[in-house]
Amino acid sequence: MRLTAAVLITSVLLSITCKADYDIEEVTPSGHIGTDSHDEHEECEVCDDAEHHDHEHEADSAATVLLHEESDEHDALEMAGSDRHVHDAGERNHGTGWFFNQPWAATFIWGKMVRDIVILLVLSAAVLFMSGHRRKRH
Amino acid sequence: MEEYPLQVEELEKSFKKKLGLSSFKAVDTISFNISPGEILGFLGPNGAGKTTAIKCVLGLLKPSGGKVSLWGAHPAASEVRKRIGYVPENPDYDDLFTPLEFMTMFSSMRRMDMGRDQMLAILDRVGLAKWGDVRIRSFSKGMKQRVSLALALQSKPELMIMDEPTGGLDPAARKEFRDIILEENQRGVSVFLSSHLLSEVETICDRAVILSKGKKVIEGRLDELMRTEDHYRITYRVSDEPEELEIHAAVLQKTIDDLREKGYSILSVNPLYRSLEEVFLSATTGVGR
Amino acid sequence: MKPVITFALMTLRNLLRRRTIWGISIVILLALFAIGQIPGYGVSNEGRFILDFGLFGLEIGALLLAIGLASNIYPRDREKRTVMPIIAVPLSRGQYLMGRFIGAAIIEAAAMITGCIGLMVILLTNGHSIPADMLPATGLLLIEGWFLLAVVFFFSFWTSPPLNAPLTVLLFIVSQLSVSGFIKLFPQAPDLMRTLRLVLPHMDVFHIKDPIAHGMDIPDLYFLLATLYGLAYTAFMLSMALAVFRNRDLK
Repeated sequence: MRLTAAVLITSVLLSITCKADYDIEEVTPSGHIGTDSHDEHEECEVCDDAEHHDHEHEADSAATVLLHEESDEHDALEMAGSDRHVHDAGERNHGTGWFFNQPWAATFIWGKMVRDIVILLVLSAAVLFMSGHRRKRH
Repeated sequence: MEEYPLQVEELEKSFKKKLGLSSFKAVDTISFNISPGEILGFLGPNGAGKTTAIKCVLGLLKPSGGKVSLWGAHPAASEVRKRIGYVPENPDYDDLFTPLEFMTMFSSMRRMDMGRDQMLAILDRVGLAKWGDVRIRSFSKGMKQRVSLALALQSKPELMIMDEPTGGLDPAARKEFRDIILEENQRGVSVFLSSHLLSEVETICDRAVILSKGKKVIEGRLDELMRTEDHYRITYRVSDEPEELEIHAAVLQKTIDDLREKGYSILSVNPLYRSLEEVFLSATTGVGR
Repeated sequence: MKPVITFALMTLRNLLRRRTIWGISIVILLALFAIGQIPGYGVSNEGRFILDFGLFGLEIGALLLAIGLASNIYPRDREKRTVMPIIAVPLSRGQYLMGRFIGAAIIEAAAMITGCIGLMVILLTNGHSIPADMLPATGLLLIEGWFLLAVVFFFSFWTSPPLNAPLTVLLFIVSQLSVSGFIKLFPQAPDLMRTLRLVLPHMDVFHIKDPIAHGMDIPDLYFLLATLYGLAYTAFMLSMALAVFRNRDLK
């Protein structure tokens, strides 16, 4: 019974404290190159040619905004690492949102990782204590 | 107040049947204890709940009710676990290891310093001196029993809990086991011995608890259990040869008077003793005197 | 601690004496060797390819090793009843779990280090340099492997080995999904799916093969955070496993 209660409390705590804020796609600040969804970039102004991408972006620039509208074919080429479309290391470009939406690059979620570490350690101690206490009652 | 090595109070253990809709009681409110230096026989037919009770004592099963204590402490307490030796029923060990490897690991896990010579001496005592470096994979059931006894003896226990320890052994090996148990008992070790072999219990135990269908049906000293309440044996002398007569208690005095009237001298009048088998059958099936 | 270390060493020896571990190790090395050969068949950017697929291979190796090592330990102990004399006297259930886990974790570590060295050799023999972050990246994959070991132990206390492997693989897959991606699996109950996903681990924190393959620097702070996150989740899974194990009757 106590184990069930512990599991329920765990679930509730996690769901309350982590309320929807771990999904980078959902919580990316407007300045982060957090999406490569075509729907959000209908205002492509600079280019529409997959062969001519020589613009540069700062690696950690919060102001970088994706400005291009790309074809699916273009995305496929980029993801496959085709040498038709090569950027310098660390350079942010269209079609690379998925790349920079990984936790190592999304510094704004690191604080949430710290919070989760603390929650997990507290829960581990609580589960250990409750299961040990329960056993010794008999 | 005397601190019992093992005290079991109102122990209950129920198991859920399929789907968890109903349950059956494998052990039903049993109580007993073991005094220091005592050998307690734990008897009962198959399915009586002996092994279940032993596993509750060792913490392998969680009791549904009641209380188990070892020297007054909870069985899970590490300080009391160190004082126990356990010989399980049909033991099996990781067959990729040798008895000496096991003994080395067990002594380390028990925080004991024990050299190879000491371990070999224990293996010699249980009849495995030549098998110390052989993997358990090739061992017979009886040899595995000997390994368990060696591991139990290794910790110099104050309480030995033995579940059918001689089940897989031949008669000669059984005697060796009995001798070791008695030697340990002389050292002051209390023994909790579950066994089917009534002759074994009759030979070495001080007291016995008999279970049937999960309930305790009899408990007492063996001489008290085996002594009948209502039958006596009269030994008297007719001429030179003594003769014996077994009679019911109701006619004891009349029979003695009759024998005296006939001029016979009464040599002794003793309560009649049953065998442990008769006691066991009487307690568990109602058969017997 | 001494009983746990002794039992961990016993577990280590036990696993090394079984053949499963060697079979899995050979498969991992063969996979790495194959990855080293494929660029020769016309794939450009072969250094990036080797690193990317090599690290991916190590991650899958960590998953397979975790399942191969741990899914059978407790069920075998229980079936053969070898767990009884150990739990009955010298060890508590917590010490048993920790000993078994540490023994398996040492083997997982040795296998990952061997795999990492193998990948380095393949990179060097193909004329590529070794990125500075490769060792920390392997370290994170090892933490992921330890976490998966804890998951396998957790499942092994209440499922059978044939069910343990698919459950672990399923958890491995869904733990890679984003919250929105997870909700798409069953969009009819978005709140339920969101809560469920938030309770599940975020294993994407261990994935740094992409930036490493693209030659990017990863901040040291991130390695530290991801390591702590992995260890905290491992501790949580082990505590849950122990809670289940403490509740188990050893019939």
